[in-house]
Amino acid sequence: MQQLFLKDGKMMTDKRVVVTGIGMITPVGNSTEETFNSLLNGKSGITKVTLCDTSDIEVKIAGEVKFNPSKYLDNKQQKRMDRFTQFAIIAANEAINDSSLNISKISNEIGVIIGCGIGGLTTLEEQYDVLRNKGPQRVSPLLVPMYIADMAAGQISIQHGVKGPSFDTVSACASGTDAVGTAYEIIKRGDSIAMIAGGAEAAITRLGLSAFRASRTLSIKDNERPEEASKPFDKNRDGFVLAEGASTLILEEKEHAEKRNAKIYAEVVSYSQTSDAFHITQPSENGEGAVRAMQKALLKANIDPEAINYINAHGTSTALNDKNETSAIKKVFSKHAYEIPINSTKSMIGHTLGAAGAIEAAVTVLSVKNQKVHPTINLKNPDEECDLDYVIEGERNIQIEYAMSNSFGFGGHNGVLIFKQYQ
Amino acid sequence: MHRRIVITGIGMLTPLGNTTDSTWESLVNGQSGIDYIESFDTSNFECKYGGELKNFNENEFISEKLNRRLDRSSVLALAASRQAIEDSGLNLPFECAERTGIALGTGIGGAHLLIENYEKLKNKGPRRVSPFLITHMLPDTASGLLSIEYGAFGPNLAVTAACATGGTVIGEAYEMIKRDDADIMITGGFEASMQPIYLSAFQSMKALALDDVPANACKPFDLNRSGFTLSEGATILVIEELSSAKKRKAKIYAEVISSANAADGYDMATPHENGRGVSLAIKQSLKKGNLKPEMINYINAHGSGTPINDKVETKAIKSIFGDHAYKLSVSSSKSMTGHMMGATGATEAAIAALVCKEQLIPPTINLQNADPDCDLDYVPNIAKSKDVNYAMSTSVGLGGHNAAIIFKRWENDD
Repeated sequence: MQQLFLKDGKMMTDKRVVVTGIGMITPVGNSTEETFNSLLNGKSGITKVTLCDTSDIEVKIAGEVKFNPSKYLDNKQQKRMDRFTQFAIIAANEAINDSSLNISKISNEIGVIIGCGIGGLTTLEEQYDVLRNKGPQRVSPLLVPMYIADMAAGQISIQHGVKGPSFDTVSACASGTDAVGTAYEIIKRGDSIAMIAGGAEAAITRLGLSAFRASRTLSIKDNERPEEASKPFDKNRDGFVLAEGASTLILEEKEHAEKRNAKIYAEVVSYSQTSDAFHITQPSENGEGAVRAMQKALLKANIDPEAINYINAHGTSTALNDKNETSAIKKVFSKHAYEIPINSTKSMIGHTLGAAGAIEAAVTVLSVKNQKVHPTINLKNPDEECDLDYVIEGERNIQIEYAMSNSFGFGGHNGVLIFKQYQ
Repeated sequence: MHRRIVITGIGMLTPLGNTTDSTWESLVNGQSGIDYIESFDTSNFECKYGGELKNFNENEFISEKLNRRLDRSSVLALAASRQAIEDSGLNLPFECAERTGIALGTGIGGAHLLIENYEKLKNKGPRRVSPFLITHMLPDTASGLLSIEYGAFGPNLAVTAACATGGTVIGEAYEMIKRDDADIMITGGFEASMQPIYLSAFQSMKALALDDVPANACKPFDLNRSGFTLSEGATILVIEELSSAKKRKAKIYAEVISSANAADGYDMATPHENGRGVSLAIKQSLKKGNLKPEMINYINAHGSGTPINDKVETKAIKSIFGDHAYKLSVSSSKSMTGHMMGATGATEAAIAALVCKEQLIPPTINLQNADPDCDLDYVPNIAKSKDVNYAMSTSVGLGGHNAAIIFKRWENDD
């Protein structure tokens, strides 16, 4: 099939893609509505850790999901799914309901991509204890299918009988962004009509906390004031807070969504991905890789930097990220950088790793739809190197035509998505 | 203009050999790479063999200092990618760094580091957990490391789709070049999960082949097949936009025509009885490549050697290809390499591309007793010369992930 290029690399046969459903389960709410409302109200989801013993670990706080699995899943599902997969299923069910999409009608043309960085750590730790204490014959036959990170995508396709492309994209803290971006590209190139795309993670275990602590990336100053620990762009920020959760979006071919009169949240207009090629943990100087990712996303969307009205930042609350991200935004947007409201969802949810990019993509889409953005909380002491408009005063109504969501991962992975208001 | 993509470099590290050439030679000679496991004590295990790399010295490829930090899986990815880049004739650091990306697949990632550190946590407490654990155990660690090592600034991520990882990640890398996000991609799969915990888990699943002679254990499509053999390794390809390859007069192995991923949407551990996911992947890959089923001459099958997979996969091939199913040749490399997990799809994709280049099909070994449910031409035990214009590689994974990828023989006047 001959495809004709139009300008900026787009092809005649390219499909347009919209968001028609959202599902979320996060430390600030067990549904999309509850999560977005908590965020608008500046409510933190960070608490003392209850999922595991932290008596000998320096980090004692995290963003845990407070949920009763039995409300959402039957016994068999609970037994056969690790916690991260349970989150993914709950978020996917909500998103599918929200979209009113008749899945069985086009099940061959719906796929699932769920980003997950780590997989079923709880299951692995449990089964390794079984191997140590009781020997190889007692290890569960379900260990591998419960542990592997692609099982969130696998189980969603199984529960809903959808048969399109199904896998996991992993790019550390940008995994969720790449999952949404890859799903967008799959519809755009005509491989599927709709995609269930998002991210899921559940790594609040003793090993997870110890390992992130060892890497010196977690906040430890505020163990007694958990809700104040994550303070992106604040002078006294000292690291991120480990969190868990999931978010999924229903991406759908625009004409298909319009034909069935679906509720449309926003249009996905661009996805870009670059590599720092600099250092395994540290971002490149002045966020050079992030600059290229944002520039490439603008180029692929064929819009000027001035068209962006809102940025959902990666904003982890680590010393380096927030400084470099600010510097990168200034490099890309010049003077306009000071006019763009920028916020960090991680100030309230914490860092959900592989789920973060998907949660933030959903928050960006909801902001575009509602024309309002949530605050960055805990920003009390301005850092002279972080001098942009981080929406510190509380929820704000703004006009958004184009919004950008940034994610930057360990290993130098940079992912950027751009959404457009649907009219 | 339609962007065409070709393979210009291959690096392989398999139980059959530590290079592409030695692996290929073993394959066409029908040699098995399966032997008793040496890296850990298997006395408590029913299954005592697997496909380990032979005489592989990690320090040959990286400094000792780096080796202390890296998981074995990353070392395998580095070693195989170095071979692939050398083979492609590309110079390092890459000339067009921003147009060069990396997308590698793995089932698990840093499995050794994770378990070592879990042991440390249990025995010595949280303060002894390595600061490098998180950054060096993720499935995307190797993709990130390679970009730093080689200065590749383009798209960079990992894909996991259980045993269908390889075909899926090469397919996504191909799409990245096709949609103009990159001109060159380093792509493929790697896995280093030869460990007590995974051998235990697969043994509990009753997925492993049992036999008195290790080399005879995995017998895909045979009546007496009883499962697969756990293996490790890495296969990395350099794929490249055609004009870039032509400009630098690169050697071309084969053209990548299309790829597709599809789900069973059925069960987490068992394939659908009619192989509906793998059928759909095959069908979509043919459609995307604008090919008639009759044009495919060879399929490198998933052929894991489990009773259900080989039956279902045969059924799926017949349902798509009809009478032509009996004319094309099908073989299972896993009969010799074992199941390299996240590396297996990439290894088999490379083999399918090599078949296009060499016009020679490696056999399925250990196929002695015909199964009435498996009645295709599986190239039993002895390699076969054949005109192969189009070759396909199929993968079937836990969780119902399936992939199909199609390559075309490269002829210079194309």
